Amino acid sequence: MSVPVAQALTAPWNVRLRVRRWLAARLPRTDTQLLTQGNIYILPTRAGWMFALTLVVLLLASVNYQLNLGYVLTFMLAGSGIVSMHVTHGTLRGLTLHLKPVAPAFANSAAVLDIVMSSPSSARFGIGLRLLEAPAATLAWTDVPAGGQANAHVSYVPAARGLHDVPTLSAETRFPLGLFRAWTVWRPTARLLVYPEVEADAPALPAARPVSSGAQARPSVGGEIEGVRAYRRGDPLKLIAWKKAAQALETGAELVSRDTSSSARQELWLEWTACGRLAPEQRLSRLAAWTLAADRADADYGLRLPGVDIAPAEGAAQRARCLEALALWH
Amino acid sequence: MALSAAGSVDASPLAGVRRTLPRWPGWNRLPREARDTLFLLAVIGWTVLPHASHLPAWSLALTAAVLLWRARLALNNAALPGRWVLIGVLVAALALTFWSYRTLLGKEPGVTLAVALMALKTLELRARRDAFVVFFLGFFIILTHFLYSQSIAVAAAMLVSVWGLLTALVLAHMPVGQPSLAQASGLAARTALLGAPVMALLFVLFPRIGPLWGVPQDGISKTGLSNTMKLGSMTEVAADDAIAMRVHFDGPAPVPAQMYFRGPVLTRFDGFEWTQLGLPFAPQSLPPRPPVLETKGTPIHYEVTLEPLRLASVPLLEATTDVAPIDGYRVVARDDLQWLADRPILERLRFKATASTEYVLGAPRRFGELQDSLELPVGFNPRTVTWARAFRDSHRGANATRLADALLDHIRRNGFSYTLAPGDYGRNAVDEFWLDRKEGFCEHFAAAFVVVLRAAGVPARIVTGYQGTDLPPVDGYYVVRQSSAHAWAEYWQTGVGWIRADPTGAVAPDRIGRSTRLAPPQGFVAGTLDAMNPRLFAELRSAWEAMNNRWNQWVLNYSRGQQFDVLKQIGFESPSWEDLALLLAGTLSGLAIAGAVWAWLDRHHVDPWVRQLERIRRGLRSLGIAAASHEAPRTLAGRVRATLGGGGEKLAAVLDALEARRYSRDAARRPDPAMTREFASEARRLRAVAPR
Repeated sequence: MSVPVAQALTAPWNVRLRVRRWLAARLPRTDTQLLTQGNIYILPTRAGWMFALTLVVLLLASVNYQLNLGYVLTFMLAGSGIVSMHVTHGTLRGLTLHLKPVAPAFANSAAVLDIVMSSPSSARFGIGLRLLEAPAATLAWTDVPAGGQANAHVSYVPAARGLHDVPTLSAETRFPLGLFRAWTVWRPTARLLVYPEVEADAPALPAARPVSSGAQARPSVGGEIEGVRAYRRGDPLKLIAWKKAAQALETGAELVSRDTSSSARQELWLEWTACGRLAPEQRLSRLAAWTLAADRADADYGLRLPGVDIAPAEGAAQRARCLEALALWH
Repeated sequence: MALSAAGSVDASPLAGVRRTLPRWPGWNRLPREARDTLFLLAVIGWTVLPHASHLPAWSLALTAAVLLWRARLALNNAALPGRWVLIGVLVAALALTFWSYRTLLGKEPGVTLAVALMALKTLELRARRDAFVVFFLGFFIILTHFLYSQSIAVAAAMLVSVWGLLTALVLAHMPVGQPSLAQASGLAARTALLGAPVMALLFVLFPRIGPLWGVPQDGISKTGLSNTMKLGSMTEVAADDAIAMRVHFDGPAPVPAQMYFRGPVLTRFDGFEWTQLGLPFAPQSLPPRPPVLETKGTPIHYEVTLEPLRLASVPLLEATTDVAPIDGYRVVARDDLQWLADRPILERLRFKATASTEYVLGAPRRFGELQDSLELPVGFNPRTVTWARAFRDSHRGANATRLADALLDHIRRNGFSYTLAPGDYGRNAVDEFWLDRKEGFCEHFAAAFVVVLRAAGVPARIVTGYQGTDLPPVDGYYVVRQSSAHAWAEYWQTGVGWIRADPTGAVAPDRIGRSTRLAPPQGFVAGTLDAMNPRLFAELRSAWEAMNNRWNQWVLNYSRGQQFDVLKQIGFESPSWEDLALLLAGTLSGLAIAGAVWAWLDRHHVDPWVRQLERIRRGLRSLGIAAASHEAPRTLAGRVRATLGGGGEKLAAVLDALEARRYSRDAARRPDPAMTREFASEARRLRAVAPR
């Protein structure tokens, strides 16, 4: 279900897509959409046209061979087809779509939209959700029980960091006979915070430094244990924080050593300037990777970007603060 | 579903099948895909099954093999065969079809090919949604059954097929989880039932127009009437039980032996084939040459429901003197007493006619008509001709009637026998039949009789038509079946006219005037029932036949005439098919407009709870009590009590009841309008007593 939206978005020559996007842009944004007569569209599918053709053939055969049962068959199928149109429309009508708060995601990895569909009346079958611009094969199918709710997840891959509008969604159904396709287009209000892409195989965390300026941090075995930092070659075995290391290894991160300092407090700073000569976006990627590593290591860390300075701290809040700063930096 | 029949008895003949099929895991434990596929295969099998009697054996074997193969693949979750395998089987099916019928066009090759295609398409079913071709072919195959029979049984079987196909279609559009077959079939049935009014409306009002183009003549060449007759081309007459016509007599019916329904009169004989004189239809441009007919006795008034025989000739009781006008056709009598329409009749017709069974068909109007009835092709059947001359010489001085009687006597006494399977006759068919083999059916007897009479100098001709009906009549309708098709002879008696002679009657008297056709041996159930309670069996049978007749009269025979009757009942003076089309279009657009209005109303629909609370809030505000739209009835009740004190207790009670009705454990689905009324009247009372 994860789709590279970027491809679909960079096709300015696609007139149909542009028209569709222009139409979608006119829709009001809402996080809770009640589907009514006014926002459900319905058209016959290819199978529906084939069905109509079949009916014409059956009717011609009935006329030509004067088969009254042939007429009965043809008209029964025609009646079922007409009823199926109303059932298809009714499958969406009255349904409420609600987008739950969207969790931030990293660029180029899947962002998940959590959608709750609730039906105040009868059960609904075969409702598919997807991004409006994604291919039909990415539909996430759900049934909604009578008077109940159902969750559906639509995921997609945001291409760039930043705060983006959630893409336009589309819910559709072909239930019960597949002769008609009813669909709706929905623009949620919610915005998705996209963190920079995490650099794969990022270098180890930079060394922590003592707070006192000028003093060279020197790892020693003697002093009091102050915190942890990433493992550095040459660290004695007994300095490794094995409890944390076990967790860290499980999640694929690097080893963690206890940081001891005899004299001053040490701080881990993730700095723009420590990233060498990388392009800005790649620096952000590296800093994001470091942020994650530092968070996994339960270290106190701070973030320094041009114009942004986040004081060292630890925990989920610090992680979110730093990643958000990376996402929104410009 | 057939697979589940493979029980645990090892000696069963299914043991071999079971070895080739994997273990049956039980219907409910199958994976979804496998279950859906097996269900669809079962529906396809059921749909094709009634064709078993029409299809060649290879086609049945191929279909069964492909369906079983596909079932096995589904159970094993194995890969489907490649494209080239399918193309190979398809080419083989095409070749076999051509080999069976010598053509790929026409009804039977078409049906054979459609069945083969449907079976093969199942091998291409990858996704459930690809199945549309199978559904559409399935609907088409269902229609082809009606070309052979439109009986109640076939209709019921095909109803099951339609239901099964719709169920499979619904299943294909329930992509989540494992919906049960019962659920899907319920949804399918609901769709079809809701569509039934549309079906009924279209069925009643859709204008029944004639065939759009000539229907291939196949399918009727086997039995029944035709404009020609050929000996030796048919080695066996299939007993076709299809109905040719139904006759309803207004007064007493004539005795069965008098029920000769006269069709084409065959005079010309070229040694192989007997054909009619003149055109096989009554051209519009020529004035009809009426028969010279004298009738006696009381005329018989009767009504005919004629099935489409695809002939211009209208078989009618001998001798029909008058036929009521038939809408769309011009039917006239010719001088050989044959009733002819201006074109082949391709639809079911119902009309009234008058006949007299006592009649004399008189002198020819045309010069040389009798000459036509004396001609024999030179070089054919020389031994019969010689025999006939000798026969005439031995009856010197006898008139035509005496000669004919002597001939019938000859047939009775000389070892002729009646059989429906006389075998193949060669070039001199009459010689072989009359002098050597002496076995045949009505056509042989009539042809030989006419040839002998002509050779003996008596003008004679063959009349074809139907003889006899089913007895007893069902609901007063006498049913004439294709298997009652008959051929007899007429000879010219100078001074009298044409006289009917039925040589088949001389050898098989029960063939003529028989009350019922030869009854087939009773089945086990029927036999048991009959032994237990013969009257019950007879009653069941007659009830069944009465139902069948209703079916025939109301469903199968519903045609233009009945449509116009419906229109007349509604109030159209002289209905035409344009009226029908207008009425249909009008009704459909009316329904569509009603639907649009309903949709518009639905769009502006307000939840009844909201509407009720809105009225109550208005009432409160009129009493000077603030009521915001987010406040629940309980909050409002509290405020009423606080503001109005004891005087407002009744209002507060209503609000509490409303709260309970909507939100309590046993909440109702809909608001109670009585509460609204009670609240409104109480509020009015309070307003009246409140100091201004």
